[in-house]
Amino acid sequence: MGLLFSRIIQSFSAMFGNKECRILILGLDNAGKTTILNRLQNDSDEVMQTVPTIGFNVETLQYKNIKFQVWDLGGQTSIRPYWRCYYPNTDAIIFVVDSADVERLAIAKQELCAMLEEEELRESILLVFANKQDQKGALNASQISEALGLSNLRSRQWSIQETSATKGKGLFEGFDWLSTAILGGNTSA
Amino acid sequence: MFSLLAGFIKYLFSKTEVHVLILGLDHAGKTTLLEQSKGIFRKVQGIPPEKITPTVGLNVGKMDIEGCFVILWDLGGQVRMRSIWDKYYADAHGVVFVLDAADVGRFEEAKLAFASILDHEDLGDVPVLLFANKQDLPGALSEEDVAESFEIDRVLRHRVIQVHSCSALTCEGLESGVRWLVQEAKGLARKLD
Repeated sequence: MGLLFSRIIQSFSAMFGNKECRILILGLDNAGKTTILNRLQNDSDEVMQTVPTIGFNVETLQYKNIKFQVWDLGGQTSIRPYWRCYYPNTDAIIFVVDSADVERLAIAKQELCAMLEEEELRESILLVFANKQDQKGALNASQISEALGLSNLRSRQWSIQETSATKGKGLFEGFDWLSTAILGGNTSA
Repeated sequence: MFSLLAGFIKYLFSKTEVHVLILGLDHAGKTTLLEQSKGIFRKVQGIPPEKITPTVGLNVGKMDIEGCFVILWDLGGQVRMRSIWDKYYADAHGVVFVLDAADVGRFEEAKLAFASILDHEDLGDVPVLLFANKQDLPGALSEEDVAESFEIDRVLRHRVIQVHSCSALTCEGLESGVRWLVQEAKGLARKLD
């Protein structure tokens, strides 16, 4: 009964353009997840210093009629096992990669593959941020997609975006894609 | 005995899974075609054409066509994304190549891309549908002109290729083309468990 009621509320709010989406920002430590979240929250050129996230940060953003509930989870090896606690009901995963950290791309791929095999994330779409494009030696989007093996994906909608979180580049383009891809079928909003 | 019967019933009612690749240059109308197909075959509204942005990655559409469970893969068409096309060839049962029939200036580039797809060994003898898209625009070339320009008779070899004019925007010619391809591709696909 409660479920039915919440469904009704949900469809009502969808009708009035207030769909709420649950987004997870994941990636290895030092990929730039928290900086991205800060950037999305307030788009000023002043880059806030961040400290490694132990646990999570969560923010709600309103963008193009969609309310995004964005979870930024810490990326250290020791806390990656806890990512899965946040998987249920996720609409989209943003996977952030440090494009200049070529050595750890293999680990990033491993983490991504393991994550995408989770049953609870079967319906979530994937957006990859090839971050830190401002740094020397950063790989471009197609090199990153190759390195992460994105072309092995068969039934999941995905996209990749070159970003520089510190310069604020590419982030909103990524969210543009997210909002059309998520609304997809029900464009009443 | 029962399991035999159950297996037979399952066989009767199981659907064939057909994988169709949608390829073509950037801005040819691949994603519009995919989204409009959702409207035609699944009766759900896809993303409206004016909201579609260039694809950098993969869009997926799943729908029932001609009694088959069809998975459409729409890949990005920019030069840098074309390198991942061939990763999907081995799993495809049919290819839709979308051509902007009104953009004659890029025909040579489109021909090269088309030839490189047909020549790829991973693709096998899968049927190919060449959509002469954007018929709603003035100056769009007809089916016959496109077939001639792409020298379809010459590249045919063991493959079934058909040129179909369509407008993804207005949906004209779209349904019949896709149905034809699925019919042809069916034989190459396997029954679902």
